[in-house]
Amino acid sequence: MLGKLIKDRTVREAIASASVIGLNLVSATFVGLLMGWWLDRWLDTKPWLLLTFLILGIAAGFKNVVVEVKRIQKADAEEHEEHGDTDAKP
Amino acid sequence: MAGGLPHPILLVDEVAKNVGLYKLNDVFHAQVIDTNVIYAWFAMGLLIILGMLATRKLAMVPSGLQNFFEVVVGGLESFVVENIGEKGRKVFPFLCALFLFIITGNLIGLVPGLDSPTNNVNTNAAMALTVFAYYNFWGIRMWGAGYIKHFMGPFWWLVPLMLPIEIISHLARPLSLTLRLFGNVRGEEIVLVLLFALAPVVGTFPMYFLFSLADCIQAFVFFMLAMIYLKGSLEHAH
Repeated sequence: MLGKLIKDRTVREAIASASVIGLNLVSATFVGLLMGWWLDRWLDTKPWLLLTFLILGIAAGFKNVVVEVKRIQKADAEEHEEHGDTDAKP
Repeated sequence: MAGGLPHPILLVDEVAKNVGLYKLNDVFHAQVIDTNVIYAWFAMGLLIILGMLATRKLAMVPSGLQNFFEVVVGGLESFVVENIGEKGRKVFPFLCALFLFIITGNLIGLVPGLDSPTNNVNTNAAMALTVFAYYNFWGIRMWGAGYIKHFMGPFWWLVPLMLPIEIISHLARPLSLTLRLFGNVRGEEIVLVLLFALAPVVGTFPMYFLFSLADCIQAFVFFMLAMIYLKGSLEHAH
């Protein structure tokens, strides 16, 4: 597996793209939470803005994941097209 | 290879101490400049010296160091142009500098007696915020006020929902860039130090292969994400 990782550029790129997804989900959630907490403290509207922004943050995280997976799928489809095998395509 | 744990000797720190590179702390005691800053300088110096050596005798048929740099830079450039298109050539110098600095910073951490500048949140946050400012700068430069369309989602009736979501996901980008690089490099170094304590040399030697590979992948991930963000701001809003 390690040898394949060093030799094959596409495997390396796939691993790099896949490793991105998890942290994107979490960091968007945290940014939403922090924004909500800060706005709550500023505008004195405890706890409504915190909840709103937390939900928005979670939504943003999921949006990130969807965008990222779409990008990986597109790169994958192009890869298969280049090699001319059609059976792996949906 | 310290990762914040006590380290027997950090060579560049010792050198800095001896040549008198001090800063004064709050109570005006002389104190060596923070390790991450000194090692960032060290990585910069290394890259500058290598660049000067590689370009000193330029030849049509490259050999040695010039050949190596042509392969690296040429490969990265074709990757960027493949993904962004011809516009990518304008932002390529920034991306390439980022990649070379991060990979140098990551790999010098594996040398005994040296430390990674990237195992500190401050270095990574500086780079991630630079990326954030840079791609927004390009977006505003390319599209002017129309850059806001990048934040509005596909339909006009979704704008009140999509605008905060897009802003949050854009603000999350520097955070996730920072934490990913920091976590990976710092984690590696802690594992190395602990394994060295358990079984010196025998325990750490196999890990060097895995970690040098992981270091390259992390540098590539940072570079690739910066490229994707730049692509997003350079191309037309969907």
